[in-house]
Amino acid sequence: MSDSNRRLQMAQALVVTGLILYVPANVLPVMTMTVVGDVEPLTVLGGVQELYDSGLAPIAGVVFLASIVVPFCKLAALSWLLLMHGSARWQRQRGALRRIVHTVGSWSMVDIFLLSILVAVGQLGVLASVQAEPGGLFFAAVLVCTLFASESYNSLMIWQTKEPLAT
Amino acid sequence: MPPKSALVCQRCGVVVRRQTGERSLQPSWALATTGLFLIVLANVNPILTFDVAGNTQSNLIISGVLDLFGQGYWPVAALVFFAGIAGPALHLASVWYVAAACCLSLRWPGLHRAAKLAEVMESWNLVPVYAVATVVAVVKLDMLGTVAWQTGAFWVLALSLCSLLAVQSFDRGLVEKRLEELT
Repeated sequence: MSDSNRRLQMAQALVVTGLILYVPANVLPVMTMTVVGDVEPLTVLGGVQELYDSGLAPIAGVVFLASIVVPFCKLAALSWLLLMHGSARWQRQRGALRRIVHTVGSWSMVDIFLLSILVAVGQLGVLASVQAEPGGLFFAAVLVCTLFASESYNSLMIWQTKEPLAT
Repeated sequence: MPPKSALVCQRCGVVVRRQTGERSLQPSWALATTGLFLIVLANVNPILTFDVAGNTQSNLIISGVLDLFGQGYWPVAALVFFAGIAGPALHLASVWYVAAACCLSLRWPGLHRAAKLAEVMESWNLVPVYAVATVVAVVKLDMLGTVAWQTGAFWVLALSLCSLLAVQSFDRGLVEKRLEELT
């Protein structure tokens, strides 16, 4: 029991941290792109907007899903799971939700990989340069928090109830 | 158990055991071997080149890691390194180890630990995500200059397909059953 208590506390701490860090991750710019003297700081949402404006709606949709919707849904789902801990209701659905969160969760890495690619090719001096900004750090931190939280709150714990089992 | 049946938990709906029949781990072994070669190819060939006014720059997976590190964002660099290079390598290596031992009926040490590692690393093999990120990067850069795909992109694509298939074929129930038979 003490092991699962520790796991529960760990998951709670990670989800709260993730929720707090989600704000700077989306408000602060993730990178600054300088192209031929034109300096442009980009937030995650700004990057999506830019893609959409240039008529690339499907790609904008993928990035929007992976980098805004997935992290938010993940945090919301994990908070709900943790709030429901110990209750005997909807256990089956909660188990399924946890499995979905665990599989879909890593797709928000798209943004971090994108940042790494742009930083790597954007080293052309004054012509084009890409500089990573603190937003990326927060974004990566949210991702790591949610990944470890869903790892820590395992499916067995959904089935631990305070009340005796009703069959 | 009758063929093509599965044992499902009545309470939570998780598949406890699937009738595996005569399926072996040979596909996993083959895919993991291919994947390990592809990791090398995907990491030494440039993925894309970006050209602005005659100045060209190409990139490898590792160059993103190094540049992020150079700009002082070492946690992000470490995450990219782990999810893009180390994670896939560990995942495929552990799948290879377990599948090879099962196919050759050899009792290599630490098989259960390797199977556990393969399971954990499965969610850290993010090469398919990297492939999607490459497509997005090309679309973004196309607005700013000239982008061209290089051979590395092909290897990254092949590696992500290989990883996805390896995850599919390395069925947990099957692995447990084969390991039980072996030890």
